[in-house]
Amino acid sequence: MTTDEISKNKDQEQYEIDTLTNDRLIKDHEYDGIKELDNDLPPWWKWLFYISIAFGIIYLVRLWVFQSEDLYQVQEYQKDMEEAASIVTKPAADFEIKVLDDPASLANGKDTYDKICQVCHLIDGGGLVGPNFTDNYWIHGNTMEDMYQIVTDGVIEKGMIPYKDQLSPTQRLEVLSYIIKDLHGTTPANPKAPQGEELEWPY
Amino acid sequence: MAIEKFTYDNKLAKSFAVVTILWGVVGFLVGLIAALAILWPSVSMEMPFLTFGRVRPLHTNAAIFAFVGNAIFTGVYYSLPRLLKTPIYSKILGWLHFWGWQLIIVLAAVSLLAGITTGKEYAELEWPIDILIAAVWVIFGWNMIATILNRRTRHIYVAIWFYLATFVTVAVLHIVNSFELPVSLFKSYPLYAGVQDALVQWWYGHNAVAFFLTTPILGLMYYFVPKAANRPIYSYKLSIIHFWALIFIYIWAGPHHLLYSSTPDWAQALGVVFSIALIAPSWGGMINGLLTLRGAWDKVRQDPVLKMFVVGVTAYGMSTFEGPLLSLKSVNAISHFTDWTIAHVHIGTLGWNGMLTFGMLYWLFPRFYKVKLYSTSLANTHFWLATLGMLFFAIPLYFAGFTQALMWKQFTPEGYLKYTNFLETYTQIRTMHLLRAFGGVMYLTGAVLMVINLIKTAQAGKFARYEEDQAASRESGNHGAETFHRRLERKPVTFTILALVAILIGGIVEFLPMFLIKSNIPTIASVKPYTPLELEGRDIYIREGCYNCHSQMIRPFRSEVERYGEYSKAGENVYDHPFQWGSRRTGPDLAREGVKGKMYKPDSWHYEHFVNPQKTNIQSIMPPYPWLASNDIDVDKIPAKLRAMKKLGVPYSDAEIENAVSALQKQAQGIAEGLRQSGIEVEDQREIIALIAYMQRLGTDIGKASASGMTSK
Ligand code: HEC
Ligand code: HEC
Repeated sequence: MTTDEISKNKDQEQYEIDTLTNDRLIKDHEYDGIKELDNDLPPWWKWLFYISIAFGIIYLVRLWVFQSEDLYQVQEYQKDMEEAASIVTKPAADFEIKVLDDPASLANGKDTYDKICQVCHLIDGGGLVGPNFTDNYWIHGNTMEDMYQIVTDGVIEKGMIPYKDQLSPTQRLEVLSYIIKDLHGTTPANPKAPQGEELEWPY
Repeated sequence: MAIEKFTYDNKLAKSFAVVTILWGVVGFLVGLIAALAILWPSVSMEMPFLTFGRVRPLHTNAAIFAFVGNAIFTGVYYSLPRLLKTPIYSKILGWLHFWGWQLIIVLAAVSLLAGITTGKEYAELEWPIDILIAAVWVIFGWNMIATILNRRTRHIYVAIWFYLATFVTVAVLHIVNSFELPVSLFKSYPLYAGVQDALVQWWYGHNAVAFFLTTPILGLMYYFVPKAANRPIYSYKLSIIHFWALIFIYIWAGPHHLLYSSTPDWAQALGVVFSIALIAPSWGGMINGLLTLRGAWDKVRQDPVLKMFVVGVTAYGMSTFEGPLLSLKSVNAISHFTDWTIAHVHIGTLGWNGMLTFGMLYWLFPRFYKVKLYSTSLANTHFWLATLGMLFFAIPLYFAGFTQALMWKQFTPEGYLKYTNFLETYTQIRTMHLLRAFGGVMYLTGAVLMVINLIKTAQAGKFARYEEDQAASRESGNHGAETFHRRLERKPVTFTILALVAILIGGIVEFLPMFLIKSNIPTIASVKPYTPLELEGRDIYIREGCYNCHSQMIRPFRSEVERYGEYSKAGENVYDHPFQWGSRRTGPDLAREGVKGKMYKPDSWHYEHFVNPQKTNIQSIMPPYPWLASNDIDVDKIPAKLRAMKKLGVPYSDAEIENAVSALQKQAQGIAEGLRQSGIEVEDQREIIALIAYMQRLGTDIGKASASGMTSK
């Protein structure tokens, strides 16, 4: 190779410079006028990539080698349930099944009723799938004790859900008090035909 | 080295651009209808095709495959010839592609609204359309690859790498996810069931996002951003690394859609780690896009095209950071099934896909018509409407998602769910849905301004169909010293094959164990196939798109077990072709709807509720389905359906298939009789009876298990 040729080669290897950024353009990289710069990968980007891969390796090692509990969802669930069982407070010892008539309890009762019970007993108590609460006919009795038992244990075969797992004892009293005090005796828009037997109203 | 002259034909790219705009507006409008149908079920006016369950799939399909799809083709047919210095290989193939794709879109719109659907999200189209899609896709790929082989340039540019990866991957995804057994022209059942179906479906769903909404758009970015800014690409090295890393890693991440489901822990874990590993490769694309604008920031301030590109690429960066975040199990436990996911995808679609497309259209039209854009200020207004519309859309939904998730999980000190009534958790976020709809209106308005602006632009100029160009012919032989990758860029076929290998690995590693190793889906002996009536009910469930609002997957969380009942087991869905786990709980989970427990409702309640959900709760946003009470079950198809299921491995005996119709009628009669006793006038053969039968079957099988029948650990 003559010196001439060497210097020519050198020239060819010379990079063109992008004037706006002073970065090197890569030779021969031009597509429909689009050129490419010879910039390196930003170091922070490389670290981001390395760290994310390291995260993955550690994660999989914890899963497969150490079988860490928190990566197995059923174990995680069981732990949660045990914890929950320990923090749940029990109902008050002096709990008594009785009709509540303070406005706050009745308002709470209405709230529960409108959210949960209305889908079957309708908002005005007229009854749809569940029986009418406004009339004097009752299937399972009309005292608070009777009703409390129904709301607690349900009559699932007929479609009345047991609410012992969904409503607290107080909530059950409140909603029934609302039925007894406020709904019973009113005139609903479309009353369902009487179900059960006619009973004298005790309240 | 002879210089050759040749001409580009802009007609195809322009036609694709026009339909992009058309379907874009339609897609946004349908999205708005869906948003309103959630807010006010009366919007559907008791017409089946306007209910949310049918409108939502139309919206997603229109936005993804019609709007973004046509935008991709616009960009490819415009950029490919110019990047390769050769006209498109075949105009005939090009026009077949164009009309074929539009035909698919029209068929999709009609069939989805008619309730013809496979019930798999983003893959709802039935088998004849699936075949058509495959054919048109092959035409597209053939034309593209042949053009590449005809090229005058030696190397293929990074945009084309992305186009090629898109082509092969979408082909693989579509074919593998569409294996289905036809029952009739309009109905098929997928080959896979339950957990396996879920894995394949979300491998598909996730990678539809990756290879339909991301890689081709990155290709467009690599062409249109440097062109519009007249700046060089920031880093060629970054292009190489992020391209290969992206396509290799993306394919593994599908199971992040199935976190805390009954998918095995190892598959979920792969979903988590590969999603995290995706941050850097995705951001590589963002960096290369944004840093290409170095030295042109003054232009960005003035040019609406560049502004849109900047917001688009930034939205890409945001959503590809958020995606991995949502793949962490602790975050997913909150975000999944809520509006958070919907906010997330709309940052991607409205921001990244929408903005890049709009920018491209504003750049292309003046070039098509050889005039200046009719109004820059109108385009700027569009830019602001789109940007703010996206934020108005997404921010309320983030808030809604978070709020609803917390409400689902909240307990009282006594240990009861604080919000026992599901609907209450929806009512709380309704205002956010109003704001979301408002954001949608803004975004749509912006798009309408674009339509006006581009029509005016076209009217002011004259369409320049042909463009002359010239280039040296491609020489073979000595290429001097080249890096390995540079050499690869000269070998498009090898390149394509390597890309194919890269995307096959993840899928194979995840699928094979799931299909071959039995312990991944522990059998539950008491789980039995559906009765003919229940199967029919299930098909109605799919037809009406109930899965768009209801999930059937109780995650192993205390809050879900308290609300819905025992968490879902993999073995419960083995006969579910397709699985129906859902992705958003706009209504409560139905996986245990039939269990006589916390969710139980008697037949008569279901009847009243389906006919008019607002009767059982005035605030309900579930649409009324009165036609179910007057439509008759198509009994003639029942034996064929059972036979198809049998072929797919559902153990129906020959006798069961033979007696299917009478078994169906007998079960229907029992239910109808019960309803009549509760004072509901209904005939035995109505569709509603089948749907009720399906509801009452849901989740009940494991309850019938004797202790020995259960093999869960
Ligand atoms: C899924 C529908 C449904 C829901 C929700 C429901 N009920 Fe009922 N309820 C019924 C049905 C059905 C009956 C009748 C049971 C029978 O025939 O034995 C009933 C019966 C009752 C009775 C006994 C009435 C009688 O005539 O003896 C009471 C009290 C009652 N429900 C209270 C409630 C309360 C309080 C709530 C809300 C916390 C509620 N129900 C929610 C369906 C429902
Ligand atoms: C727009 C979303 C939406 C669609 C579509 C929808 N639902 Fe609902 N669904 C709801 C909401 C919200 C509720 C809760 C309020 C209520 O009970 O109406 C609900 C409640 C239900 C319930 C009662 C769950 C329970 O026990 O409390 C059932 C069953 C149900 N839907 C079935 C269906 C079926 C079947 C379809 C399809 C034919 C369907 N839904 C379509 C939103 C929807």
